[in-house]
Amino acid sequence: MVHLSKISKIFQTRRGPVAALDNLDLDIEPGEFVVIRGHSGSGKTTLLLAIGGMQRPSQGELLINGQDIYGLSPQQRSDFRADNIGFVFQMFYLVPYLNLIDNVMLATGTRSNHRDQVEAVELLTRLKLGDRQHHRPADLSAGERQRAAIARALINKPKLILADEPTGNLDPENAAEAFGYLADFQQAGGTVVVVTHGSAADAHADRIIHLDHGCIKSA
Amino acid sequence: MKTFGLIFKEIMHRKINFLLGLLAVILTVAFFVGSVTVGQASHRETVRLMRNMGMNLRIVPRQTDMTVFWDKRFSDYTMPEDHVKVLAHHKKFTANHLLATLTRKVTVSHNGKEFQVLLTGIAPEYFPPGKEKPSMSFEIERGRVYVGYQLAQDMQLLRGEKLEIGGKQLLVERCLAETGTPEGDDIRIQCNILDAQEILGMPDQINEIKAIDCMCLEVESGESREVTVARLRSELQKALPDIEVFQWQTLAQIRHDQRLMMQRYFATLVLPSVVLVCVLWVGVLTMINVRERRQEIGILRALGYGGGKVASLFLGKALLIGLIGAGLGFLLGTEMALTFGPQVFRETAKGIKPLYDLLMWSLLAAPMCASLASFIPTMIAVAQDPAQTLREE
Repeated sequence: MVHLSKISKIFQTRRGPVAALDNLDLDIEPGEFVVIRGHSGSGKTTLLLAIGGMQRPSQGELLINGQDIYGLSPQQRSDFRADNIGFVFQMFYLVPYLNLIDNVMLATGTRSNHRDQVEAVELLTRLKLGDRQHHRPADLSAGERQRAAIARALINKPKLILADEPTGNLDPENAAEAFGYLADFQQAGGTVVVVTHGSAADAHADRIIHLDHGCIKSA
Repeated sequence: MKTFGLIFKEIMHRKINFLLGLLAVILTVAFFVGSVTVGQASHRETVRLMRNMGMNLRIVPRQTDMTVFWDKRFSDYTMPEDHVKVLAHHKKFTANHLLATLTRKVTVSHNGKEFQVLLTGIAPEYFPPGKEKPSMSFEIERGRVYVGYQLAQDMQLLRGEKLEIGGKQLLVERCLAETGTPEGDDIRIQCNILDAQEILGMPDQINEIKAIDCMCLEVESGESREVTVARLRSELQKALPDIEVFQWQTLAQIRHDQRLMMQRYFATLVLPSVVLVCVLWVGVLTMINVRERRQEIGILRALGYGGGKVASLFLGKALLIGLIGAGLGFLLGTEMALTFGPQVFRETAKGIKPLYDLLMWSLLAAPMCASLASFIPTMIAVAQDPAQTLREE
């Protein structure tokens, strides 16, 4: 599903170049639930964004489903991302002026139709947000917002979900629930890559990767 | 979610930002529309004032003794009324207004007293086909007269009274306000040209044509006023050998130059400055909007929205601001011109009308300017690195 070979990402800073990813090799199989762990600045988020086609590596080969996504044009890469990848972030990043249905449907693009709306409502109901579908993010708890963000990630039936500290702002109960939904997605055949500090996802993980200074220390 | 839906919901969420942008466009368009609408009234007013001061081209029968003309204020000779049509169709001479009159001194008896008055018959203004403009002269109905101030005082005439001139009964339609002009308007009785021709027994005759706001011949660069007038006289006399042409030019030219100067000042300094301020205003507001929506842009990019779609959210909003602002600005500018214009330009108040061409221009120019103003912030939004935004906590 995900193939990284000799991937490096060098950021130029005032104090000189910093390697966020350093000659990293990684393969993730379809249907795998992978947890990436590491301290701050270890390169976890950079790795996740690189896999998501949003952070071009300085060197190396990166294939998603056999597709060299950085070989695509920006528009093709956007389309590929929309069709294949779902994102879940710690800060949820829900659009504040849209209600939950619209936020979920946002992932279906500007050509969304009634069928997408029905699916969005079904998803929200499945994630226990059926009675909140017309509420705006500001009216919701952190756990509800994260469930809405998960619904948004699921609406396009992606093959891969990338989650960056998805439970960073949640209490343990909501965190367990959020990982439960990601595990359900994996059970249905999807691939999940989670970047996290905590251990709440460990129960669902097929593999836990420790990242340190842009290198895989153990897996 | 459709692009327009996103734009609309964002506008409803950040109303202040939208309303401030809209306000800028409305005020700019209103300023433009109001200025142009009132400007046209100003133009007509200037022309009218020029006429009232006797500062335009005057055409009289060629045999006219000018010493007698200045003494009597009219020519003793007449010329055919059709001369107006010849002038209107002249290829090297254009005048925005052609007023034909027939004036004679007549004796009028009223309340047992006799009065020497100037009787002036006024013909309806004649325009070349397709060049009609709001009329600058009175159009007096047949059988009615307008009486000059001094005469009305001396004759103790009131509106609605009957007056007999040359055996013809005429109704006093208006007693005019005091003018104090040397042309003798205060001792003049004005009537329809047909009534004057009938009273004086001069059918189809006139003795003066006033040509207002003339653009005569192709004036060569550096040509003196005297040479231009001589050339003009010669050219018109080729078409109408029985006329004499003269003008009082000094004050007219000052008025004309002043009007042109104000038009240049407005077109080159005032309007561009106002538009520039509006463009900057809308640009700054769009920039603020882009900064407020950094995370939204980041997540949209993560969700697969390309640069074009992100740009369409900002440019679409700018277009909407431009379109709505143009419509409302046109209404406001026109309303202000219609409300305040008549108070300033009393002579030509009735000529102040909505200029619908300006609506079309506003609907084209305002969205274009608003989009241009939003272009740089939009490009900044499109170029924003979503990875950087989404790693911010």
